[in-house]
Amino acid sequence: MPDMVSLDRAGPQQRQFNPYSDNGGTILAIAGADFSVIAGDTRQSEGYNIQTRYAPKVFKLTDKAVLAVNGFAADGNMFVKRVRQRLEWYRHAHAKDMPLRAIARLIQTMLYGRRFFPYYVYNILGGIEEDGSGAVYSFDPVGSYERESCRAAGAAQSLVQPFLDNQIYFKNQTAAPGTTHPKHLPLQEVLSLVIDSFTSATERHIEASVGDGLEMYVVLARGSQLQGLENVPNVQEMTTTSDGERIFIIRRELKKD
Amino acid sequence: MDHFPTNWGRPRNDAFDAYGTYPIAQRPYNGPKDTFETGVQRTQQPIVTGTSVLALKYKDGIMMAADNLASYGSLARFKDVERLHSVGNNTVIGAGGDMSDFQYIQSILDSLMIEEFTAQDGHSLGPSEIHEYLSQVMYSRRSKMDPLWNSLIVGGFKDGKRFLSYVDLLGTTYSSSTLATGYGSYIAQPLLRKAVEGYEDVLTEEQAEKIITECLKVLFYRDARSLNKYQIATITAKGVHISESRSMETTWSFAEGIRGYGSQTQ
Amino acid sequence: MNSFADRFAITGPIAELRKAQANVEDDEFSDAAWGSEAGFGSLAKGIPTFTVPNVPDPSSFLRLHTDDHADPNCRIKIQHGTTTLAFRFQGGVIVAVDSRATAGSYVASGTVKKVIEINPYLLGTMAGGAADCQFWETYLGMHCRLHELRNRERISVSAASKYLSNLVYSYKGMGLSMGTMICGWDKTGPAVFYVDSDGTRLKGDLFSVGSGSTFAYGVLDQGYRWDLSDEEAQELGRRSIYAAGHRDAFSGNTCNLYHVKEDGWRFIGNYDLSQMHYEGPSGTGYGYDIRVEGRSSADAPPATAA
Repeated sequence: MPDMVSLDRAGPQQRQFNPYSDNGGTILAIAGADFSVIAGDTRQSEGYNIQTRYAPKVFKLTDKAVLAVNGFAADGNMFVKRVRQRLEWYRHAHAKDMPLRAIARLIQTMLYGRRFFPYYVYNILGGIEEDGSGAVYSFDPVGSYERESCRAAGAAQSLVQPFLDNQIYFKNQTAAPGTTHPKHLPLQEVLSLVIDSFTSATERHIEASVGDGLEMYVVLARGSQLQGLENVPNVQEMTTTSDGERIFIIRRELKKD
Repeated sequence: MDHFPTNWGRPRNDAFDAYGTYPIAQRPYNGPKDTFETGVQRTQQPIVTGTSVLALKYKDGIMMAADNLASYGSLARFKDVERLHSVGNNTVIGAGGDMSDFQYIQSILDSLMIEEFTAQDGHSLGPSEIHEYLSQVMYSRRSKMDPLWNSLIVGGFKDGKRFLSYVDLLGTTYSSSTLATGYGSYIAQPLLRKAVEGYEDVLTEEQAEKIITECLKVLFYRDARSLNKYQIATITAKGVHISESRSMETTWSFAEGIRGYGSQTQ
Repeated sequence: MNSFADRFAITGPIAELRKAQANVEDDEFSDAAWGSEAGFGSLAKGIPTFTVPNVPDPSSFLRLHTDDHADPNCRIKIQHGTTTLAFRFQGGVIVAVDSRATAGSYVASGTVKKVIEINPYLLGTMAGGAADCQFWETYLGMHCRLHELRNRERISVSAASKYLSNLVYSYKGMGLSMGTMICGWDKTGPAVFYVDSDGTRLKGDLFSVGSGSTFAYGVLDQGYRWDLSDEEAQELGRRSIYAAGHRDAFSGNTCNLYHVKEDGWRFIGNYDLSQMHYEGPSGTGYGYDIRVEGRSSADAPPATAA
């Protein structure tokens, strides 16, 4: 490949500089029938050191897409910045926002472009598809991706994901005779599952890497009802366009110890 | 190829690839050795280093402090180094880590400010712009595997708003109402948080100075790479003020009575 | 060569490496990244471009940070681990895969699509690095379409697989990891080609790839005949994936089954492996205990309600 050239002999093997760090934290997204919830805690840490109690990990990309990033904070912030730049270029060229599934593919190619020097970032993209359904896409650091109903990533993924498997996918649950498990949960139920996931992860995670604050973005499909969102405390609308999709943010406190 | 099934999907490892079928690019080189081979290494470790920088928000703006020492390993090499540097009229940066890299950062910031000044477009770079610029520089240098080995704190006051943020050699950034780099993040940061969090809008300059000098003193007693000569910077609506270098009174007579500290060995 | 001369030379491999590495930040940004091509990421320039870390040995850098086998504490965990199989028989090609992705010892996903639908006549399977397979087989799909536009006919399975093997061969030693079977139907009839990240490309009737491949081969080899009926062949694929999912910790969850015929591929179904264990294809599960229950002296018949 013309862009790939290697030195023809081995140079010094040991380098001291490690360009990566792990800044802890956990992110989570759940898709509903006509909404999507994307959440993350706000603590940024390195080892046992809490760097700050408020560093957002969840970012609004458009009025129908929200991206959560977890891993190495500098890579994450830079990655979000580049995705936003590409989305802006797209908007200038096409006079509309990029559809969610296209953003997902864009993120794949951007991550894979760094296949040999990966972004240490786990991405979860949530939002509304063109058909009005809620969607969650999850990525590995080099860009393999998949559409799912729910996904947790980061420090407490191994605590949260099994809980979601049980509560969202009803894994290891048998429906009562004559009934079936619902395919999608209502918004209120999803929000309380998200809050419970984070409070439990904060309690049970052994390292001090989850806690301080919780930010939950809710994306509602075009024309859908508020579904009780109007009664949730600390909710704030972030919608900027009149396309129809609406986007809200809900902030909660988490334990700070 | 390593066809052992459980190794599928993993990056290739020499240990599992005895026949050396890969990588082509890395056949052992048996030609003449090159004396200058190591000449291409860049900063892989800091040489002349500064220790902690402390900063906090208070009622009127931002206060920052750093001592005047640049160490050469364990040698207290330079005792008159200024680690707080003003950029424009609204910003101060404080640096820990490699002092030569810090001097390079000062020079690029100075030329940046000159370039902005010559534009004469009515805009001037404030603390948040300078922090953004620095974080891009630091991140791109880390991505070139050639980092500027520093932890920087950017403090400023512009348009009635306080600004306090951190950036380091990896490009990691964060902000909060108190910040400390290096050893100070272990020793001073808890003290600063206790004294400042929740009081950012009521602390006076005198109170802030008392807090920050107390923290410097604690650091001076416990951080072997620190010095009791320091400077304090304030950034307020009145502009930037970096104090003259001053000394702190310290007493070590107590050490006589502490086992392991003074002359007593048992 | 003296490294002094190397360092200041503007031609030669070292200068080229330097240029590639100097590109580290602006790889993704060119005029082509604007406008209608804005969605193609690193493909915008036509050929993919990649950022390479500015170290003497980029592949050992990659291994240091991503190989959880050599160092379980490595942080960047790339998803992998799998069982895939494909075989040719009189009725076409059967492609069967599991759906588990692991990152370290964590089951990262149980719902992965490991059969990549390159176009209506071509399937690729995914073993090894999930991203490597997804990305390059999607990229292969773009080139298969270009081949159709240029030559007014579909690309042969042989040509498509050769394109892929040449492509990955050019990255040999850089740390790509993929083992794939390119399956389809062309003028020559059903075809299966095995392609891996070393550049190996093999034509054959029957392949299985991945950590669970040994278990799958066991079932596959004893049941394989050229003249299997469609139903028998599909059942053989399913049963083989079940066996691998049962015995290999890195494989499991569900089985995806595809059948390629003259008119292109068809998705047969998604089968839950644990359901297959207990219920099987016709009410009797594949599970050993179920087959034994009540039939050996050590395992008495279940107590029937009196």
